[in-house]
Amino acid sequence: MGRYILRRLLQAIPLLILLSLFMFILIHLMPGGPEAVLFNPRLSAAGRAALRASFGLDDPPWLQYLKWLQSTLTGNFGTSFTTYQPVSSIIATCFPLTLELFGSALLLALIVAVALGMLSAVRHRTFFDYALTALSYFGISMPIFLFGLLAQDIFGVQLHLLPTSGTSTPGYTFDFFNGLLDHFLHLLLPMLVLSLTFIAQWSRYMRSSMLDVIKQDYMRTARAKGVSFFRMLTRHALRNAIIPLITIVALDFGAVAGGAAITEGVFNWPGMGLLFITSLEGRDYPVLLAMLMLGAVFVIGFNLLADILYAVMDPRIRYS
Amino acid sequence: MDVPQQVDLSPGENEPFWELDETPELVQKRRSQGRIIFDRFVRHRGAIVGFFFLTVLFLFCFLGPLFWRLDPDLIPNDVITSRFTAPDAAHPFGTDWIARDELARALAGGRISLLVALTSMAGAIILGVGIGSFAGFYGGIIDNLLMRFTDVYLAVPLYLLLFVLSATFTDGSPKSVVILISIFGWTYAARLVRGEYLAHREREYVLAARAIGAKNLSLMFRHILPNVAGPIIVNATLLIGSNVILESVLSYFGFGIKAPNPSWGNMVADGQGYFDQAPWLVFVPALLIFLTVLSVNIVGDGLRDALDPHMTER
Amino acid sequence: MGKYLLEIQELKTYFKTKAGRVRAVDGISFSVLPGEKVALVGESGCGKSVTALSIMRLIDQPPGEYANGSIWFDGQDLLELPESALRKIRGGQIGMIFQDPMTCLNPTMTVANQIAEGLKIHLKLSGKQAHQRAISLLEQVGIPDAAARGNAYPHQFSGGMRQRVMIAIALACNPKLLIADEPTTALDVTVQAQILELINGVCSNFGTALILITHDLGVVASMIDRVVVMYAGKVVETAPTEELFTNPRHPYTLGLLASIPRLDEARTDELKTIEGAPPNLLNPPAGCPFMPRCVFARNICRTLPPLDPLAGQEAHLKACWVDVTDPQEQLYAENRRQARLENVKALTKEAAALQTIEEQ
Repeated sequence: MGRYILRRLLQAIPLLILLSLFMFILIHLMPGGPEAVLFNPRLSAAGRAALRASFGLDDPPWLQYLKWLQSTLTGNFGTSFTTYQPVSSIIATCFPLTLELFGSALLLALIVAVALGMLSAVRHRTFFDYALTALSYFGISMPIFLFGLLAQDIFGVQLHLLPTSGTSTPGYTFDFFNGLLDHFLHLLLPMLVLSLTFIAQWSRYMRSSMLDVIKQDYMRTARAKGVSFFRMLTRHALRNAIIPLITIVALDFGAVAGGAAITEGVFNWPGMGLLFITSLEGRDYPVLLAMLMLGAVFVIGFNLLADILYAVMDPRIRYS
Repeated sequence: MDVPQQVDLSPGENEPFWELDETPELVQKRRSQGRIIFDRFVRHRGAIVGFFFLTVLFLFCFLGPLFWRLDPDLIPNDVITSRFTAPDAAHPFGTDWIARDELARALAGGRISLLVALTSMAGAIILGVGIGSFAGFYGGIIDNLLMRFTDVYLAVPLYLLLFVLSATFTDGSPKSVVILISIFGWTYAARLVRGEYLAHREREYVLAARAIGAKNLSLMFRHILPNVAGPIIVNATLLIGSNVILESVLSYFGFGIKAPNPSWGNMVADGQGYFDQAPWLVFVPALLIFLTVLSVNIVGDGLRDALDPHMTER
Repeated sequence: MGKYLLEIQELKTYFKTKAGRVRAVDGISFSVLPGEKVALVGESGCGKSVTALSIMRLIDQPPGEYANGSIWFDGQDLLELPESALRKIRGGQIGMIFQDPMTCLNPTMTVANQIAEGLKIHLKLSGKQAHQRAISLLEQVGIPDAAARGNAYPHQFSGGMRQRVMIAIALACNPKLLIADEPTTALDVTVQAQILELINGVCSNFGTALILITHDLGVVASMIDRVVVMYAGKVVETAPTEELFTNPRHPYTLGLLASIPRLDEARTDELKTIEGAPPNLLNPPAGCPFMPRCVFARNICRTLPPLDPLAGQEAHLKACWVDVTDPQEQLYAENRRQARLENVKALTKEAAALQTIEEQ
């Protein structure tokens, strides 16, 4: 399996380079480059020229690409056009927030979805099962921004329970503990909304997988051995049913970069997604490129992780 | 064993009991395959409800203007007084911030949203089946190349890419959005189709067809395709739902359908600003999106249960 | 209680379906002595598997239901036991092996662990002890290189090997009874003999009673002590093996034995069959279930015959009003058989003629 991983990693490199070229072209095709949006209109012509030169915008595109490639490969992602700060530090501030939001949502969703899926399968065709199925349908049919808006309206505006945007309540300075609490309260709503969308999908998947597994002959063998119901559920059923779900979870985690944008947009959570949207509007090429590449790395990496996990969990799958 | 004395045993009084027609019914009435599928689909009450809802919705959106004469773009003269009217008899969905009739707008937006979803689904499926069938059927290098190509597509975070692309290419018109979504929707279908073709390629019926001289293209599309149609149809149906969501998200963030074209997504975005005065401006398009996607999903599941012979009752 | 290890009395297992209640097992009774090897034979759908599953209450309660009867095992009625007590018996006192070894093992557990699981539950062995015993069991059932193979997964074994593993699992805790539900049907012919020999051997060695479910009478003849013949959810005849083969008394048994092709028959003779099909279990007829197909049938057969021993032979029971050894009956039956054949031939000709007309 080590060789398989190595092979996949090696395959990923040309893929990433190809992608970077693809995205570089794409970004530079966008109408109205950074100058139109960013540069201070009162700059003199000379000032403008100097600014352009410092950003390397005078070079022909292919040279710009090569320079970018070279600097990226050495770890320098360039400087933002909007804030003049190194891109890596900008991302470094935003990334943990996205990770926090997504990570907690995913973890919660995984636990709840597995539990609900199992319960639903075991209580097949009871009220609980139908109720869960109905809720899942609701969850997957609702675009996440709608869900977010709804949640904001109910919990934030009507009930005044939770804050609806940002990471902290403005105008206050908190001590450490209260600051943490405030941050957590701000995290709660977006995290729950995101979680629920995952739970809706995953619990259906888990339920269907469990139903498949419960019908299998080896469950009957286990019962004939005198295995307790609990152990049958966990060691036999769950262990087999969760395999396809884990790969889905890994793939969904890889989609962090994309999905983050929407949720963060709705809740004003200053993570990578929000950064992307603002950079897009500002035509901030270095940031955009860096984020797209990071996103691709995530997707490719988690795709590989999904395949590895699958092989680890299912002994029937072995890669040469 | 001793026969009880009261038993009637004389051969003369015994008629043969066994007539051919006394044997139990061995053969069930045969139904055509289409009929079987239809019966299974109809068993899902939810799917039937969803199907009817969708039909009604489509009829409304596309034939509605024949009955509901108000122009969605018309700004009446008494704008100041008639804006933000709550739903009433004259305006069943109320009016928006420049007093345009919301029902007419909803219908117009629906036309666009649904059309976009449908055509982009068709585009994605055609592309997906085209690419997937070649990849799966021929295997080898072609498969490798096509799959690497698909990987490139899949490697990029979808929404990010769509945002970028729509900033570049689209002018907010439905046509460009359709092209955009189709170009990115085919990957899942292609993977699915490829898997099916890989599996079916080795089946006996394909070998048999080959043995009587069927050519490759004919094999792919006249022989194998009808057999793999099931999952493709299900995927296509569910794709409609995800395309509706995709388009609405894009439009909401200002990247998809842009004004003056109405779409449910941008109607939600626009209505958000006036939520306190006129909440129906958000609820109407939001509810429509939700109900459409819900119905599509339920119908898609019903189709899956009806078409997949291996599925037992869930 | 008493001398029998297992005593089934009037067991009725029904299934609730959309079409109605299917009477899969409709009042069967038989017993098994300690160490005895009993075979349950009959055609597909006669209820043999359902009987076996019912013994350990492995039938899912909806849609199944145990409508009646009792299953006495070691002094307890298994149908009345609470689930927790029953669980101790499953695997501990009664072991079961199933028909399709390809799907009966958990694909994510090593073979040794699957055997050890039962050991830990019933014999309360520690992990290491259980593992060691599992390896030795694998050796006993004939898995080569057991120590290494024990850590392999089921998909790495062939069908015959997997069935051996199943046998090891079933016998791990030294149960008093082994139920084997068509253990060789899904295996290659060459492997079938090996597996049966294995089952025979371990049962003899450990004194385990055996209930073997099969539709292969040849297997029955070689290793079984007593045969129970089932039809449409009821027992129609039961006798010690040799007695059954030499002196069958139920028309169905006669038909079964006659249908086995013999090596000394001319190859060109037609195979003998039992015409007709088993009754619909949704609505079985009131009397003897075999009556519609039976050439010996009489008016009285519309009443269900009791399962009674033959005169002077306690061990041989049959459920039939008719004495098939009576020459008069045999003549009568032969006449009916001829008449039936003529009937069938005439109808086939008619159907063929109709079809050619249709085609034209």
